[in-house]
Amino acid sequence: MTSNLIQNYIVNKPAGAKQSTGENKSPRKKPAPYFDIQHELNNKTFIKPLEGKGRLLNGNIFNAPAMMVKDVIYDAKAFKHAAKGEANDHELGKLNDVGLMLGGLAIAGYLASKKQTPMTKGMEFIGLGSFLASMAIWPKIAIQLPAYLIHGVNVQKEYEDSFGRKKPFYQDPQFIPWDLYSDKEIDKIGDRLGVPKNIPNRRDFIQEKMRKIAIQNNTLWMLTAGFATPIMSALICNQLEKPLAAFLDARKNKKADNILKHFDKYAKKYNSHSTEKKLAGIIEVYKDKPVTPELERLIQDTLTEGFDFVTEQNITKDLKKTFRLNRMYTINEKTSKIICENLRKQFNGKNYSEEFLNVILPKKEDMIRIMNNAELFNKQIPFKDLPKIDYNIITFISEKVAEYNKKVPADKQEDISLIKKILFSTTEKNHPTAKVRPQMIVNTLNEALQVKLKTVAKAFDDFKAKHNALNKYAVLKIGSAPETVIANYWNNTADDMLKILGLTPKEIEKGRLHRNVMGKILREKIEHIVSDDKTYKKVINEIVKKIAVINEKIKSKDLTNSMLSKASTSNKYDELIDDIFGKFAKKLKESNIEFIKTSEAICVTDERYSGGTLKQLQKTFVRDRLLGVKSSFYRIINTLDFYRRVATNANGIKGLENNPKEIKEELVELCKRMTIQGRSSDNTTKFYMLRNPNPSTKDAPLEVKDGKVVNEFFGHAAETTDIPGDKYFYQNAMTMMFDGEMHKDTLDALSTSSIKNEVKTYRQLILDKIGGEYYFAKPYHLIRDQNRTSSKIKFLLNGVPLDEFFYKTGQQAYNTRKWTKIFGGFGAGLLGVTVLAQFFFGKMKNPEVTNGVKND
Amino acid sequence: MILPISNNVQNKINFSAEGKGKEKKQLEYEHDTLLNNNPVTRTNIAIDKFQNMLTVYPAKGLKGSKNANFYEFLTMGTVPYLVGSATLMGVFNYANKHYKHFASVKASELGRKMALGVLLYAAFKGISKTFINTPVKLLTGIDLEQPYAKVIYELPDDVNDTDITSIEHHKVFESVEFSRWDLLYGDESKGEKRNFRYDKIAKKLGMGKNLKDSDQEVKPRIKEIVVKSNLAKNISSYLWAATGVALAFQQPWDDYFQVMTFKFWKGKEFKKSMSSFVKSLKKSAKAFYKGEGYGIKKQAGKILLFSAILSSVLGVVNTMSSSKKISKTDAADVIKKDDRYVVN
Repeated sequence: MTSNLIQNYIVNKPAGAKQSTGENKSPRKKPAPYFDIQHELNNKTFIKPLEGKGRLLNGNIFNAPAMMVKDVIYDAKAFKHAAKGEANDHELGKLNDVGLMLGGLAIAGYLASKKQTPMTKGMEFIGLGSFLASMAIWPKIAIQLPAYLIHGVNVQKEYEDSFGRKKPFYQDPQFIPWDLYSDKEIDKIGDRLGVPKNIPNRRDFIQEKMRKIAIQNNTLWMLTAGFATPIMSALICNQLEKPLAAFLDARKNKKADNILKHFDKYAKKYNSHSTEKKLAGIIEVYKDKPVTPELERLIQDTLTEGFDFVTEQNITKDLKKTFRLNRMYTINEKTSKIICENLRKQFNGKNYSEEFLNVILPKKEDMIRIMNNAELFNKQIPFKDLPKIDYNIITFISEKVAEYNKKVPADKQEDISLIKKILFSTTEKNHPTAKVRPQMIVNTLNEALQVKLKTVAKAFDDFKAKHNALNKYAVLKIGSAPETVIANYWNNTADDMLKILGLTPKEIEKGRLHRNVMGKILREKIEHIVSDDKTYKKVINEIVKKIAVINEKIKSKDLTNSMLSKASTSNKYDELIDDIFGKFAKKLKESNIEFIKTSEAICVTDERYSGGTLKQLQKTFVRDRLLGVKSSFYRIINTLDFYRRVATNANGIKGLENNPKEIKEELVELCKRMTIQGRSSDNTTKFYMLRNPNPSTKDAPLEVKDGKVVNEFFGHAAETTDIPGDKYFYQNAMTMMFDGEMHKDTLDALSTSSIKNEVKTYRQLILDKIGGEYYFAKPYHLIRDQNRTSSKIKFLLNGVPLDEFFYKTGQQAYNTRKWTKIFGGFGAGLLGVTVLAQFFFGKMKNPEVTNGVKND
Repeated sequence: MILPISNNVQNKINFSAEGKGKEKKQLEYEHDTLLNNNPVTRTNIAIDKFQNMLTVYPAKGLKGSKNANFYEFLTMGTVPYLVGSATLMGVFNYANKHYKHFASVKASELGRKMALGVLLYAAFKGISKTFINTPVKLLTGIDLEQPYAKVIYELPDDVNDTDITSIEHHKVFESVEFSRWDLLYGDESKGEKRNFRYDKIAKKLGMGKNLKDSDQEVKPRIKEIVVKSNLAKNISSYLWAATGVALAFQQPWDDYFQVMTFKFWKGKEFKKSMSSFVKSLKKSAKAFYKGEGYGIKKQAGKILLFSAILSSVLGVVNTMSSSKKISKTDAADVIKKDDRYVVN
């Protein structure tokens, strides 16, 4: 037992001078309420340090928010103190964390500003958050928790000192505030540490052991955090990517739906009235001034702003025509003089004498007289009457030439037709009167024209706003950009397809090397799936369910492809387009400024023709995107269905009957290849295949085992070649793949699905649009009537081939998996080593047990 | 725990850093010593710390040595920074070689910028501190980074342990509450004036020459300056670090990455690589400042750069604003020599 040194000191205290009590002095500062110096002095006891107010902190999820708020307040105060130069070390240390956070936000903010989509922007902040979280979480899960479970010691314990400063308990191993732990608490930890009960100075021994464990763990923390934090942060980001994407996708979809639901509200929101505002500015400057070509160009630029190139061109044409037709000119003394000068210039370099020219060309006075006689001088002349000026001039000159010719011998007479050519057969730029026209213009930007333009500008703004709202909706839903609703749907569904088909990591790794390799793997996989009833039903149900999500994301009542959804061709998006474009075109046509070409380019009102307009573009943009995506996924269903039909009833497949066995084998083989690998070009070439030119005529049913045809002939022919003239072969193949009833299991899966009719229509469309293609190299290869389907529609209907689809999806999946395997594995190993190491910590030789000695 | 001092006394162990005997460890310093703040000293200190944080301190820490202390823990705090930086680079680059060519190229473009970002983060953070330290030193004469060597007397591990001294490298003002004022006094035995350093600072601070107790006059002001400059460094250094990362993410760096090599023994290639680095740095700096697109995307670089500059400028201004103030020592706080006091 150690003696109490303080008590000894009090008892044997040497006599000293009495301390100044300061009784006669009034204290300058009021002491803290818990300390009454008079009471202490009157008590005649030893003046000892104030009792410590420190305490251990027990953090848990319930008091975490309160502690967090307290920390923020503390940081704010620390900043204030530091700015005044009054902060202490602890406060300055805290401000380093504030700086770290601020710098992190600056990085995330900057990088986010450079990203295009909400997802990528959001991931920058998630990256920062996960990094900071990893810095905090790693010592908790890899150091604190295992140490507590193994030794019963919380090595990350925190305490609050007498000044309210929160500090790690074991921060400085040389100055650990052990007095904050009661004997009972230390004893309990000692028991957990397995420290014998009856040893001298048990508390000291336990403390030493706790200290040792803490130092060892803190060192381990420093050695492992550098590896763990970035890896853990990256893994957290990896895991949070999908939930964030799902959240943003739902938000984006809702936003898009709202645009259609409250269309007028959004149209109003997108109406910036920019045309009206700009036009008002022009009117303010050019009010009642002549409408010069420069002003016309300014008005054109204002009205065409924000339109696509084709519409812009048509607006310009219409405006030019309108301005030209409405323009008024005048000829006065000044312009008469200029015209005379221009007439003279036309003869520069020509072989005519001065004398002759002086005779035939009008002078200023002549010109005024000519125009006066023609009632054109100082009159407002419309554009259509401008040729009258030239006519009167040429009449004057002709008369003068005739008079001249009468006076000279025949060999010196001049040809009037040649003079006419010199004068007026030229471009507008060099035309003696045309180039004076800008100076002849007299009509102004008057009240009437202002009203016309303002009306048009209002209509333009209104249309542009509605057009913008429609575009916003279309882009959010099916835009060809990252993170649109349809892009998210594609990515999610593609990822799920790998899992549903059960492609193993090894298969994905192999298949990512080339689409042909992936094609082979897929074929094996599908043949395996279709050969088992239970597996097929499960797989086809899951696939249909996943694919059908598209009709939840993009509802057919809002937006649809009329080719696929024949039953419901009417949808809100198309209705809005018809209404907006139709009304705008009508308004333009009826406006005082006749926008005939523009209205036709926007929306042809003639119902016989509906192609190539802005309205049609607006519709086909979304239709095509939907068709391409849906065809790609419906193709997967059709492929599985075809394989299933082969596996269960190959000989009953429509198109296969009435063929010898070898042809049947070839047909099935071709169809299996085409459903997985077929591209648009394969349809164009009517399926290239190396076949036996002299096939066996044996008529026998096909033998199928485990989803595969047991070939008797195919692959055994001595010689093979493509047979391009065999139209029946092509027809049979198309019929087998896309005609005839689907398998019952497939139909069952589709029966309750929203895509049932669309899949059916898709198969019909393939037959109609692709199967019926008229192709010059192989005429009459038709299973449907000839049609005028564009290559684009054929391409979209064909969809993405399965081998390519899974090859690309597999690459992404492989990359993610590989990365996760490398760093996830490393992280797991690091965690294991970190935890394992802790079993060797805190080893100390126990002191010898002394019986009967009570612990201090 | 009662330490076995008696044993040590009986064994006549000399608890001193003064190496008189041949068997004693010869330390560079016998007592706490102020060091010159120059590149050589800084390099030596950095090497010493680097060696210790990778060898001696982890070994002591993992053994749970009773001599392990806060300084060692703090010094080891650099390990996560170094290892973390390398790991961060690895996270974005190591797996790329397993991807197909296109994906690998795309991933490497980002990965290399990430790696460069890590390097520029550290570089800008380090350099930015001079934006505060240098003006403060020029204007006040206070060297905020003034190093000193501290002689540590450790507890012997056992009765035969005579290696009980070690050197730690600290800075005079690393603690604002326990600054090593004593080290700033001159050594009168060497003919130095006791307060010559404080006199110099007092003069720079405009407090006058030949002050009677210049040390007492300037200490509160030095403390205030140290606190404020620490605040400025804590905030501005991270903003500068962020600027470094932003600079690393500029498109022109792609040109450098095409020819990048660290094989200095391949003279021509290495020279080309270095030349490309300088060119890319210039172009990236321009691209960072000018930005692209419109709105915040275009202005983000300028905002970040000017925030960093502003934080340094404001930091220095705030630090210096205090140095012009007259000492506000409260009369009640002045100790009167004739009175006796109770310390509470």
